Amino acid sequence: MHLFQLLIAGLLAMFLSVSGANAADLKQAEFRNGVKLIVEEDHSAPVAMVQVWLKVGGRDELPGKTGLAHVFEHMMFKGSKQLAPGEYSKQISAMGGSDNAFTSHDYTAYFETVPASKVNKVLQMEAERFANLKLRDKDFQKEIKVIMEERRMRTEDDPNSHMFEELSAAALRLHPYRNPVIGWMQDLKRLTIEDVRAFYKKHYVPGSVTVVVVGDVDFKEVKQTVKRTFGRMKVRAVPERFNPTEPAPFGPKRIDVSLPAQLPLFAVTLPVPVWNPGSNDREAAAIAMATQLLAGGRSAKMTHELVDNKRVAFSAAAGYDPFGMGLDLWYAYGALGPEQTPEKFETAFWKMMQKMGKVPPLEKELAAAKRQMIASEVFARDSLYLRAKHIGILETVGIGAKHQDEWLTAIRNVTAADVQNVFREWIRFDRSTTGLLLPEQTPEQTPKQAPEQAPKPTPEKKS
Amino acid sequence: MSRLSPTHITLLILCFFLVISPAHAVPPIQEKQMENGLRILLMEAHAVPMVSMQLIMPAGSRFDAANKAGTATLLASMLTDHTAKHHHEAWATLLDSEAIRLGAGADRDGMNLSMTVLKEALPTGIKAFSESLLNPGWDKKRFKLIKENAISSAQKDQEEPGIRASEASGKLLFQSKIGLHPYGHRPAGSLATLKNIQLADLKKLYQTQNRPQGSVLAVSGDITMPELLALFEPAIKTWKGSPSIKLFEINSAGHVQGKTVEIEMPTSQTLSQLIRLGPARKDADFFPAFVLNQMLGGGGFGSRLMEEVREKRGLVYGVYSYFIPLAAPGPFIITLQTRANQAEDAEEVVRTVMQSLFEGNITRKQLKEVKANLTGSFAQRMDSNRERIGLMAMIGFYRMPLDYLQVWTEKVESVTLADIKVAATTYMNPEQWNLVRVGPQLSKKGKTAP
Repeated sequence: MHLFQLLIAGLLAMFLSVSGANAADLKQAEFRNGVKLIVEEDHSAPVAMVQVWLKVGGRDELPGKTGLAHVFEHMMFKGSKQLAPGEYSKQISAMGGSDNAFTSHDYTAYFETVPASKVNKVLQMEAERFANLKLRDKDFQKEIKVIMEERRMRTEDDPNSHMFEELSAAALRLHPYRNPVIGWMQDLKRLTIEDVRAFYKKHYVPGSVTVVVVGDVDFKEVKQTVKRTFGRMKVRAVPERFNPTEPAPFGPKRIDVSLPAQLPLFAVTLPVPVWNPGSNDREAAAIAMATQLLAGGRSAKMTHELVDNKRVAFSAAAGYDPFGMGLDLWYAYGALGPEQTPEKFETAFWKMMQKMGKVPPLEKELAAAKRQMIASEVFARDSLYLRAKHIGILETVGIGAKHQDEWLTAIRNVTAADVQNVFREWIRFDRSTTGLLLPEQTPEQTPKQAPEQAPKPTPEKKS
Repeated sequence: MSRLSPTHITLLILCFFLVISPAHAVPPIQEKQMENGLRILLMEAHAVPMVSMQLIMPAGSRFDAANKAGTATLLASMLTDHTAKHHHEAWATLLDSEAIRLGAGADRDGMNLSMTVLKEALPTGIKAFSESLLNPGWDKKRFKLIKENAISSAQKDQEEPGIRASEASGKLLFQSKIGLHPYGHRPAGSLATLKNIQLADLKKLYQTQNRPQGSVLAVSGDITMPELLALFEPAIKTWKGSPSIKLFEINSAGHVQGKTVEIEMPTSQTLSQLIRLGPARKDADFFPAFVLNQMLGGGGFGSRLMEEVREKRGLVYGVYSYFIPLAAPGPFIITLQTRANQAEDAEEVVRTVMQSLFEGNITRKQLKEVKANLTGSFAQRMDSNRERIGLMAMIGFYRMPLDYLQVWTEKVESVTLADIKVAATTYMNPEQWNLVRVGPQLSKKGKTAP
C-alpha cells in the first residue's frame, strides 16, 4: 500500500483493526472460469455491500507506465456496450445506492452499497461493464486530466504526502511499493489509450476476479446470479503477479525533502514481513503488537515518551499493514513543532526503539494491547464496507479469507519476548530509511510567526 | 486510491450529519427524559455485542470568546485526557485495559463526548464516560502540553489549502461592524487565538454551558433502555443545571455578497470556494434547499457540478456543495481545486450551473431522480451504530420530532417542482455569492486575465 494511505489509515485506525466474521460464516463458491464468490449473510438491515476485486494493482505496471492500474479504474466508469459514460453511477444512484472504487499496489476493487433487493441487478451491471468496456480515446483524454488534478491535490500540493512518496522510493530498490499508486506525473503525461487497452486485455480476466457480498442476501441466489454473469465469461490466462524479492538493507539511508511547508516532519520507514499464514504467524503478529504498543490507544508509548515526556514532537505514530504482498513498509513519524528539532526527535526515537529491544513490555501492557486489537475486530463488524473489504484484501493478496480467524489466534499467542525480538530483528536503525520534510521559506512566512521553522538541513550521515 | 479523497469522504460523512434520509423500516427511537433535564435517545441494535453513545451539549465553538477561538475544542480534549480521580497515565491505562474508546470534540453549536465500547465492558465504560464529564481534573501541566500541541498543530494546518479557505470563508461571511459572529471561526481555533486561551477560560465554558438541560445522549447498540438507565442514572445524578445561553439564542449573521478574498499559497492548484449563508436547521425551506443542494453538488457523481466541471471538462478531481444547518444560518459552500491557470474557467462553469438553476431550469424528471436517490439511500445511511448515534444526537439536540426519521422520506417526497424553484431563487443567484481563492500568484493572474 501507498505510504501516505497508510499514514491516513494509521491515524484513523492504526491499521491493526481486524474486521471480519468467523471464517465459518463465509460462504464460498468458485466457477469454472476461475471467478470466485464469497458471501457473508447479515440480515440485520435491508442493505448489502457488493465488491468486485481484481488481482491487479500498481505493482503490476510496467516501467514507465506507473499509475496505469488507477487510470484504468477511472475508465471503468466511462461507458460500456450498454451504458454511456457516467451512466453506471447514475443508475446506482437512481436505485438509492452509492458506488466507488479504489486501487492499491496489490488490488483494484469496485464497490456499491445498495438496497438488498438490488444486488442481482448490480452484479449484472458489474459483469456487463467488466466484459464490454468501450475505452474511447476522447474519454481517456478528459479522465487523464482529472487524474493529474487528483495527483496535484493529493501529493504535489501536500508537503507531507509528497515527502512520504519520496521516502518510499528511496527505501526500496526492487519492490513495487517504491512507486506511487497514483503514478509519477512524468508517466501520467505519457500514458495513452493504447496502454489502457493493453492493460484491460491482459489483466481484466475472469480468473482474477473475486466477488464479495456482505449483507441482507441469500447465498444461493447470489451464486445463481454470479454464475449467470461473471461465471459465463470465457476462460483466459491469468498473468502472474509481479512480486520480486527485495534485497536486504545494507545500512541506513536518508533523504531530505525541501518543500514549501510550515513545519518539519520526520519519518522513518523500513521493510518488514507481511503475514503468511502457517509460516510466520508469530512474527507478523508480533510486529502488529509492537506497533499497537507504540502507537495504539491512549497509552501509546510513542505519544507517552516522545510527545508527553521528551517533548520532541507534537504528535507521533507508527503503522504496519500485515495484509500485503511480499513485504510491508513499516513506518513511524513525528510531527515537529516550531521549537522541536529533527535531531532531538531522531535521537529520542531510536533510543526508545533500542530500549524496546532490551526491555520486554509488561504483561498488563500486552494484555491491554490484545484486548484493544480484539475489540477492533468487533467494532469493525459494525461496518459492511470494512467487513467486505477485509475479505477482499485477504483473498486478493493471496492470504485467503479462510484464514481470517487465524490472525486473532496469532495475536492472542504473542509473548513479550516476541515483541522484544521485533526491535532486535526488524525495527533497527541500520535497516531504516529516514525522510525529513524541510520547510522551504516562502514569502508569506514571517520570522515573527515562527522563529525556528526552518531548521538547518541535517547533513547526510550515510547513504 | 479511491476516486474520492479522504477529504471528500470526510465531507460525505459530514453530510450524514447535516442531512438524513429514512426509510420504511426504521427502528423506533426510545426516549427518556431524566430529572436533571438530559434527554436520552436509544435505538436498539443487537447484531454486534457493542454499544456506541454520543452526548451533545450546547457548548460548541460559538461560545468561544472572539479572541479565544478554540476554547471548546481544548475543553473537549481536556475532559477526555484525565480526571480529578485519575491522572493522565492512570486514565489511559484504565481506558486501554478495557478497550474503551472515548473521544470528544466541538463543532459550532455543540460539544460532543462519545464512546464506543464492548458490551461486556459497558459498566466500566459508563463509569469512565461520566467521570470524564463530571470530574474534570484541570491539571495545569496537561493543559499547557495540550495547548502547545494544539498551537503546533494549527501551524501545521496552515499547509492545507482547505483549512486556509475555511478560515477566510468564516471571516468573509461572518464579520460585521459589530465584530465577528460566533460562527465565524473554525472550532479548532487558529494560531493567533489559541495562544490567548487560559485554563480559566475552559473552566468558565464548562461551568456555564456543559449542563444537562438542552443536552442529549444518543445511544445505539446491544442494550435496552432499562439496562442503560440502571447504569447511567446513578452515574450522572449529580449533574445539574441549565446552560447560560440556550441553543437557539443566537442572531443570524447579516447577508454578505459579491466579495472576493484571495490567499496566496505556493501550490500548483488553486482552491476556489464559493460561499454564502444557507438555511438554518429549522428553516421552513430546509427540505427544498436540501433537495436542491443534492441536485447542485451534494450528490457526488450524479450532481450537476460534477457532471459539468469534472465529467464534461476534466477540470477537477472533485467539486462539491454542502450547507451546514445550525441553530442560525450557517455557511453554504461550493468547493473545487484545479490547476491554477484553470481556476477562473472552473469558477465560470460553477456560476453557469447556478444561474441555470436560478432561472428554474429543473424538470420534473430531474427532481424525481434526485428524490429517488435520497429516499432510496436511507437504509444505508443508518446501517451502523456510529451513523445512528450521529443522527439521533442531531435530532434530539435541534429539538426535531422523534418520528423525524420515519417522516423524512415523506418530507423529501413532498418537495414539489415549485418548491425547489423557489429555493433556487433564494439560494442560487450567482450575484449573491462570494469567492475565496487559495493558490499561487492570484492577483498577478487576475490582472492578466481578459
